[in-house]
Amino acid sequence: MDLLHNPEFLSRAQFGFIALFHILWPPLTIGLALILFGLEAAWVKTKNVFYYHQARFWTKIFLINFGVGVISGLPMEFSFGTNWGPFSIASGDFFGNILGFETAMAFMLEAGFLGIMLFGWKRVSAGMHLFATGMVAFGSTLSAFWIMVANSWMQTPAGVEYNNGKFVITDYFDAIFNPDLAHGFGHMFMACIEISLVVVAGVSAYYLIQRRHREFFLPSFKWAVIALVAVAPLQILIGDSAGGALAQTQPAKLAAIEALWDTNKPGTGAPWAILADPNQAEQKNNWEISIPYVTSLIVTHSPTGTVQGLTEFKREDQPPVWAPFYGFRVMVAAGVFIAFMAVITLWMLWRRKSQMLADSVSGNKWLLRGWLWTIPAAYIAIEAGWLVREIGRQPWIVYGMMRTSEGVSRVPVPVLQWSLLSYMVFYTAIGIAALVFMRGVLRKGPVFEAPPHQPARHRDIESKPAIEGSH
Amino acid sequence: MEAVAVDSTHHLLATIWFLIIGLFLVIYVVLDGFDLGVGVLSLFVGDEPRRAAMMSSLGSIWDANETWLVVIGGTLFGAFPLVYGTVLHGLYIPIIVMLLGFMLRGVSFEFHELSANKPIWSFTFGLGSLIAAVAQGFALGGLLNGVEVIGGRFVGGAMDWLSPFSVFVAIGVTAGYAMLGSTYLIMKSRGMMQDACFERGHLLALAMMVAAAAVTVWTPMQYPEIYTRWFSTPNVYYFALLPIAAFGSFVMLLRALKKRYEVAPFVWTTMIFLFSFIGLAATWFPYIIPGAVTIDQAAAPSNTLVFMLVGIGMLIPVMITYNIYQYVVFRGKVDPDHEHTY
Repeated sequence: MDLLHNPEFLSRAQFGFIALFHILWPPLTIGLALILFGLEAAWVKTKNVFYYHQARFWTKIFLINFGVGVISGLPMEFSFGTNWGPFSIASGDFFGNILGFETAMAFMLEAGFLGIMLFGWKRVSAGMHLFATGMVAFGSTLSAFWIMVANSWMQTPAGVEYNNGKFVITDYFDAIFNPDLAHGFGHMFMACIEISLVVVAGVSAYYLIQRRHREFFLPSFKWAVIALVAVAPLQILIGDSAGGALAQTQPAKLAAIEALWDTNKPGTGAPWAILADPNQAEQKNNWEISIPYVTSLIVTHSPTGTVQGLTEFKREDQPPVWAPFYGFRVMVAAGVFIAFMAVITLWMLWRRKSQMLADSVSGNKWLLRGWLWTIPAAYIAIEAGWLVREIGRQPWIVYGMMRTSEGVSRVPVPVLQWSLLSYMVFYTAIGIAALVFMRGVLRKGPVFEAPPHQPARHRDIESKPAIEGSH
Repeated sequence: MEAVAVDSTHHLLATIWFLIIGLFLVIYVVLDGFDLGVGVLSLFVGDEPRRAAMMSSLGSIWDANETWLVVIGGTLFGAFPLVYGTVLHGLYIPIIVMLLGFMLRGVSFEFHELSANKPIWSFTFGLGSLIAAVAQGFALGGLLNGVEVIGGRFVGGAMDWLSPFSVFVAIGVTAGYAMLGSTYLIMKSRGMMQDACFERGHLLALAMMVAAAAVTVWTPMQYPEIYTRWFSTPNVYYFALLPIAAFGSFVMLLRALKKRYEVAPFVWTTMIFLFSFIGLAATWFPYIIPGAVTIDQAAAPSNTLVFMLVGIGMLIPVMITYNIYQYVVFRGKVDPDHEHTY
């Protein structure tokens, strides 16, 4: 059947497109908000204006990113009603409830203090401003938590019974703390931290290459790299643990990720395919380059542990293999690359101190260029990771309980084509414009204005009843 | 859906959630109403400094205003999943158009700040605001016109929302938002900009009232059961209070505009919105999808409603408090004729 006339495919394509676009923005918002809070707290505590200038500079990048994240997220929430009506009706008691929590507890908190954080520097005391930044950071992290509760419940539904087309909640605690939540939220939250550190390191490297503001960007570069030495390997460990858990919770997804068609026989080990050409029609790989025993070792920590192959599942219960298989490999490669860059740079900072000073650091061309590449690598990793997670869940919208085809609204095909096309045009234009403006911010660089007032001296603030204009 | 037994606890919880979402809706319509309204009005302003001043009067608060819609979406999804899954499907086109409008105006705020070519982004801000306002009007019109739901599924057509009636509602909503925007700008500006807002106030107020009157007359004609409900005694005495109160507010609004009060016009416009909304809610209660689905049928089971009440209900005063605080921080006026004041 022609995919562009298939309503289920069109609704999936639309949601997938919106989601893949949306997820490019909030992770940086979440991680950067925490970093901004740290910088601002350092300013308030030490009164060192360096931290103030750092906070102001990264806030500009935060601002562009936040705006695009908010407006691209709005359609996701509404998509459940417009395109996934039967799913919404079936799962609303839990899933809608959780989205309700997210909006009222977290999203509103973020929005309620965002104006003060971005435009309130001259209008509130430094302490109050720090509080506002803290609320934005807390709100965005809490928002990620509730969203991951909702998403992980779709991966490993618990605490519900599916009766007569309706998910009836039997246990809220089990439903919220479903088996995937710790891994799902942990992996996503760590991704937010990691991508923010990568952006700080990469952008700092950009200035160091250009020999601009080296005294300003060398410290941010160093601290981001040092933090990444801990965060990047930790993220790989969390991911590995999440992958291992799939053997129990979503074995078909695991088999698809590894392009493993047949369960290994007792006494033998399941091999790990580095590369393969999966052939779903014939239920085999046309060819593969694999290392024996490794999949068994990774999943079961025993070289001959049993790992279920895809042929254990009926054809109609199998996820597509190609995207999870390659998406996973791309994600892992990107994650390892970032960890490698962090470790090698730490070694330089430790053993080659004379090359890493403000007046000498720009000589390390390849190292700094490598950091420029970590930025796209981190974004590719997030996109690839979500493709693995969501395509690997297919053909289920709620794993093992409700099929994606049962969850879709019957919207006429021409209407779906119109909305998909509209989203693609709008998002592409917005994405390009955001990148252009981001480039403008980078070209302009930091502004070293004096702070409007010294931190924590509320009585000295002039109360000026006027609106900040757009300068 | 018919399997939901009528029990009094569930009915009470459903009613509470109907009222909470109603409260959110009123807050949203007033706040984002003036927000979108300022955008619509900016299309009729010739020079860039004025449009920039209009945008900067919203710069710090538009995101929070729009977030009330996100909160309505989330709470509606949880408390009344059936409404979420059918009405949004039925109103697919106006909803998507509204979202596209929001996107356009949302990015315009940021890009206007950063761009060298400001007129482009102040125009897209106005255009996006107009698109979103008109689309909301059509969505409301489509909902009042009836969203066809049978057996928990939307069974109508993709263009059901479009009718002469919904065109009228869309004009009314857009005029009402422009009126809110105008009266907001009266509070936030001075000089020539404020004068312009006082002058066009009468016309917008009239357009808004004509549309509200049309909905009031049309509804009982379309739905005989509403006719009976409104005009039976003693109901008629209660229902009559609402148009009287709305008309009283209208008179007070015109008076406030004439006397050039700064805050009163916004308050009276808000009152007109409030009475119209109460009128709609009282007319249709306990229906949540007019003529098709009641709150008891649409509501999630009691355990979800209680759980949400615990998680969200207690936060409502907190949410309102920090939103008010943000307005207090950014109080004061913008004035394009006197650069130094903003």
